[in-house]
Amino acid sequence: MLASALAIARDNWLLLLVGQYPNGPLGGIAATLMLSVLGIGLAFPLSVLVALARISRWRALRAPATALVYLVRGVPLLMIIFWVYFLFPLLLGTEVPGFTTMVCTLVLYESAFLSEVVRAGIEALPAGQMDAARALGHSYPQAMRFIILPQAIYNMAPSILSQFVSTIKDTTLGYVINVPELTFAASQINNRLLTKPFEVFLILALTYYVVCFSLTQLATWLERRVARRRAGPALVVVAAPS
Amino acid sequence: MIEFRAVNKMYGDYQVLADINESVGRGEVVVVCGPSGSGKSTLIRTVNRLEEIHSGDILFDGQNVHARMRGTQLNHLRSRIGFVFQSFNLFPHLSALDNVILSPHRVNRVGRAEARDRAMSLLERVGLAARAHAYPTQLSGGQQQRVAIARALAMEPPAMLFDEPTSALDPEMVGEVLAVIRGLANDGMTMMCVTHEMSFARDVADRVWFMDAGRILETGTPAAFFGAPQHPRAQRFLSDLRSR
Repeated sequence: MLASALAIARDNWLLLLVGQYPNGPLGGIAATLMLSVLGIGLAFPLSVLVALARISRWRALRAPATALVYLVRGVPLLMIIFWVYFLFPLLLGTEVPGFTTMVCTLVLYESAFLSEVVRAGIEALPAGQMDAARALGHSYPQAMRFIILPQAIYNMAPSILSQFVSTIKDTTLGYVINVPELTFAASQINNRLLTKPFEVFLILALTYYVVCFSLTQLATWLERRVARRRAGPALVVVAAPS
Repeated sequence: MIEFRAVNKMYGDYQVLADINESVGRGEVVVVCGPSGSGKSTLIRTVNRLEEIHSGDILFDGQNVHARMRGTQLNHLRSRIGFVFQSFNLFPHLSALDNVILSPHRVNRVGRAEARDRAMSLLERVGLAARAHAYPTQLSGGQQQRVAIARALAMEPPAMLFDEPTSALDPEMVGEVLAVIRGLANDGMTMMCVTHEMSFARDVADRVWFMDAGRILETGTPAAFFGAPQHPRAQRFLSDLRSR
């Protein structure tokens, strides 16, 4: 089985990597990564705004942000994909490509989750940080921008990266609306070969695993590196004699 | 410089501040002491409106701190009141130098180069020029508190408030922080300082306010207060301190 899986991978590596590109739309791992990067990349600034609205003292900001977060968290991703898929063309009056539909869905979905991560990061900071910022005369937006958010986002970087990893896994659902990403490519191969589903989906599973595992490793490495920089040499002393 | 007029503050039914009528003159150093829970920290935090009050007025340099005002006015007012916290509250993501540069640069719009020069000379003044590029976690408590004092001074405030500046410090670091505060007092800075360091109060204060249960029970020169306290609660407080 392993040998035939390797043979399938060797014959189809280009399809798995970039899909039909350049003769068709970009697909495969390239599309999966692009969906994830665009999804998280656009969701992140939005999630900061949603988080700020969630902790705002104005109800007019707090209520809709809270509603959005609860709604999105309480509905399966697949449901949101269908909603966006059928609703967007109606609202816009034009056809919306699958890729765009998927990016919009991911931005909506991930920004709700990320905003909770950012909010937790803000609320975990000691109240003294905001006190100090205000005592020095900083306005609330300034305090957020220069003092609170840099710390909150730094502290939450590992969670944000792990959210990125789950976004990569979430892109598989693009399959149901024919977005030519990695799962779609594997399914194409499977349909062509007909008799090798285990081998094909073994390749698929391994590919996702390699991508996601290396990203979590990267996150861990990054976390240690930045923590070391912040803690500084004074704290690298391994064990003080007692 | 700082004037309390009939200030009251409640937490539910509990009166944290009761009928405070006192003032701190320009260049005066006032030490606020009293048992814990007496309202000292709350009192000092009302001066820059980190705490709200329920009635009365607090004037800072002639300006009513608790009047209705726009956010920008309050920010400007706060930028003119130096505040030093018990727990330092340095910004851990910035180096000591950047902690001191940030607010003059962003709040007072001082150019970066100028803010940096001034920050360096302030760090020098508190004896930490060599540690300018260290992050707060790399500094001892005493060093962190000295950076926090430099950070407050960078706004060139006409008055400084200290909220138990040495209570979170190991005993051997108290002296270095008090020395910096003493230096400020000698330079004529108007100061209000909540502290349990009675020998410091005796040396530096022009007047001592004694608080208990939200009231200022006694005020006087350090010599009078420590030599012959009038109020029985103050007598008991001082004898408790001495027997410790």
